Amino acid sequence: MFTRFSDIDRLFGTMDMLRQRLDNLYTDYNRPYRSTWLMEDGFLRANLYQSGDAFEMRLEVPGMDKDALDIKIQGNYLEISGKRDHNVPDGYKVHKTERLNGTFSRSFTLPDDVDGARVEATLKDGVLYLTLPKSEAAKPRQIAIS
Amino acid sequence: MDKNTEIAKRDDRNIEKTRELYEAAPAVDIYENEDEILLVADMPGVIKEEVSVNIDNGRLALSGIRKLESGGVASWEEFGNVEFVRNFSVPQTIDVENVKADLKNGVLTLHMPKSEEAKPRQIEIKTA
Repeated sequence: MFTRFSDIDRLFGTMDMLRQRLDNLYTDYNRPYRSTWLMEDGFLRANLYQSGDAFEMRLEVPGMDKDALDIKIQGNYLEISGKRDHNVPDGYKVHKTERLNGTFSRSFTLPDDVDGARVEATLKDGVLYLTLPKSEAAKPRQIAIS
Repeated sequence: MDKNTEIAKRDDRNIEKTRELYEAAPAVDIYENEDEILLVADMPGVIKEEVSVNIDNGRLALSGIRKLESGGVASWEEFGNVEFVRNFSVPQTIDVENVKADLKNGVLTLHMPKSEEAKPRQIEIKTA
């Protein structure tokens, strides 16, 4: 009946989902957990990926222009700060304001030194993508066996 | 074909769903003036094609799916693919035909105009 592991995995996956749905039925059905843009302590959410000779970093920055962001790099120290201010549009009454406002800053210590001159940053759909090439000294090197 | 892609392909062909995206409620601002209700929601990383806005019988359902390309070996990950879902009750007086949605920099702006009958009206007092 089950010829592959993925079949068993699939079966359990479906059962898990059913159980979750039943668990949620009374407590918070249709009420997913809240996510806010900043983490509780005021940090932006960030992902760091590594490949052989570069880091890639992604940060959630919804609704921010490139002018509102400030990126600084020194060696392996990266600091991202910015400001988000969206004012209440004129003549509107406020019902709810959950989106956070104000200044923020987050700093990272990267595992290796970065070549600051070749860093690229792009902003797309509210996510900031940073490509951070490692500095020459930090790059992996092929060693020839003599 | 390596095993991973084979399994991923089989997943696509399944009749039953086995995995779901995490659901998250986006942070929203709601404003109102005499002409419309304005809703602003943060959905970083969501593209236009993956957003759906449904208004049906006084219920507004927002959904936006974020699918990011996998970036390589993750050293740390604080956000990932997620479905932003949130439901609201809206007054029946919304002019559903003229609702406008706009997505920019991961922020969804929804203009919901009130229908003519629901707008406040100035009553002139006549002297007899």
